Amino acid sequence: MINSLDPRIAREKIAEDNTIAPLTDMDNWETYEVFHQKKRGDQHVHVGIVHAPNAEMALLFGKDQFGRRGITANIWVVKTSNVFCTEYEDQDIFETTPEKQYREAGGYKVMDKINKYKKENKAV
Amino acid sequence: MEHIKELLYKMADDLLVLGHRNSEWTGLGPILEEDIAFSSMAQDKIGHSQALFQILHELGEAEPDTNAFMREAKQFHNAQLLELPNDDYDFSTIRHFLFDHADQLRFDNLANSSFEPLAKVARKIKGELKYHVFHADIWLNKLGNGNEESHARMQTALNHAWNYALGIFEESKLEKELIDNNVFEGEVSLKNRWLAVITPLIEKANLKIPDEKHWAPVLGGRTGYHTEHLEQLVNEMSEVFKIEPNAEW
Amino acid sequence: MYGNAYIDPNEKPKSIIDGEDPIKLAEFEARIARGEKIEPRDWMPREYRKQLIRMIEQHGHSEIIGALPEGTWITRAPGFKRKLALMAKVQDEVGHAQLLYSAAETLGKNREAMINDLITGKSKYSNVFNYPAYTWADACIIAWLIDAGAIINQVANAKGSYGPYCRALDRICTEESFHLKYGHDNVVTLATGTPTQRKMVQEALTRWWPPIMHFFGPSDKISSHTEILMKWKVKMATNDDMRQQFLNMYVPKIWDLGLTVPDANLKKNEETGKWDYTEPDWDEFKRVINGGGPCNAERLAVRRMAEEKGRWVRQALLNKSEKYVLPLA
Repeated sequence: MINSLDPRIAREKIAEDNTIAPLTDMDNWETYEVFHQKKRGDQHVHVGIVHAPNAEMALLFGKDQFGRRGITANIWVVKTSNVFCTEYEDQDIFETTPEKQYREAGGYKVMDKINKYKKENKAV
Repeated sequence: MEHIKELLYKMADDLLVLGHRNSEWTGLGPILEEDIAFSSMAQDKIGHSQALFQILHELGEAEPDTNAFMREAKQFHNAQLLELPNDDYDFSTIRHFLFDHADQLRFDNLANSSFEPLAKVARKIKGELKYHVFHADIWLNKLGNGNEESHARMQTALNHAWNYALGIFEESKLEKELIDNNVFEGEVSLKNRWLAVITPLIEKANLKIPDEKHWAPVLGGRTGYHTEHLEQLVNEMSEVFKIEPNAEW
Repeated sequence: MYGNAYIDPNEKPKSIIDGEDPIKLAEFEARIARGEKIEPRDWMPREYRKQLIRMIEQHGHSEIIGALPEGTWITRAPGFKRKLALMAKVQDEVGHAQLLYSAAETLGKNREAMINDLITGKSKYSNVFNYPAYTWADACIIAWLIDAGAIINQVANAKGSYGPYCRALDRICTEESFHLKYGHDNVVTLATGTPTQRKMVQEALTRWWPPIMHFFGPSDKISSHTEILMKWKVKMATNDDMRQQFLNMYVPKIWDLGLTVPDANLKKNEETGKWDYTEPDWDEFKRVINGGGPCNAERLAVRRMAEEKGRWVRQALLNKSEKYVLPLA
């Protein structure tokens, strides 16, 4: 029997050579992805996962694992198996040619024309 | 003031003792995520106890640390329910459910107490208590409706805890003063509200409250009568503090 | 709370990149060289995956086992302030285990498999936790100096190449800074307190010094294996570098308190800028890591007890129609 310094353990009266059956798959349940919103108006941000047997408990667990410090306005959980994602291997689909200035604010330089116009008109 | 002090002592001791019991699960819980959640609630309980000992100190009693950690078991006013060992997660969960509902309803009433320091604490901890009963309700429901083993375990634990839980509402000799002065609604009223809240939740969890004819509240905790478990716990919680009670630790 | 991953020195490193696709390997290495992170579903060399799983898993085990020596003092912590803080600290360690196991899971090993390897003694954890915390002061020394050592390791590893591990470590480092402050505050309180308290803390320091010196592991043999792991940013600093950094930061703080480090040879060498010390007893280290320490048997027996006690709870809530999929990040 383990003669532990820890009174909690001593009370359990554990044999030193106790054996247990191995944990089987899913013993720790499935996983939920946790999204945390710091304050109203902010985006929900992915912060990690919890293992949980259902959504209600995933929310309980998400609250303490990811919201026990600082401030929190809201938490979402989504079953990992319900999340669909692109492949990093295909990251190049997000690359694009630089000739797309027409859809960027920086692609429109009206000040050049205005200044030119003002200069010419002053000259007149 | 004696009636208020008495109320504060029993509440502070309930929370101190349960906080210690619940903290014993830290690092040993059934799964990591629940370990973390249960520890948060244990911290909350000890924190609430500290706030009440602080009010007692302001009413002329000893410093919170001295008061909490230098008394003997027979000077404790907690209900016996809270000093019982944790055993398994079934009993811990049932105790958490039964006590935390009573605790939430008590503080809910005290939020409007004529004794402002207590009302202030009650308002401050409202959110924490709400989470504690959220947590308790979900666990009771899931384990009560889980599999055959968990259902049987929860029913056994409920049967074991029930009369101890009724002991939470042991009346004080000064009950009338508390009620007449609008400090607190009184234990009878609290117990009735508690029964009304928990009965449907227990039914939803597919569990049964023991037959009323077997109800026999375990009394005495409020006046210093305790099981042998409290003495062990009190010695443990004050072991280091008592090495040098006047030192800063 | 964690030292460096323990790699068996007898392990043969020759096959480290044998059979890997040279083009993919080159892309992978270029990505790391550019300072980009590797994410879970990226291609990665077998050995990269294997070493990371081992390292993150050992780190996770160290947190959950590390909760035990300090947990010894939870119910006994003196006074409200210390009690609450210790509860929060041990809770954080459990939280760290959760974060680390989650990061390791993304590499393809599920949590159950990791726990099974822990409780059968197949996986290692930080050797320091095989020593007992005899007094309250031991818990204070652990919280200060072991956590200090852990931070040095974790800050280094947080700059590694594997995204999920880095993210977990960033969060862990933030929490560890509370542990360090808490631990230091405790040790300072005892060291500046009554003669009894001072004696307690000196004795604890004396007991814990050898395990602290062991904490970062033996000097690395710089093999081709180590070189590749450093190139892949799996291993971020050598054991000796971290030990030196620790001594540099904490020995002066210990001496400030008038405490004695039980090593007469410990001093900063003005010429080399490094600390000289008595070489730790590495035979003792090996003996303990292989099961011969004072608490190895207890730590694993307690973990098995906890897993077994929780089993009915987990089984009752298990939804058999669900399937496990690897977490995403």
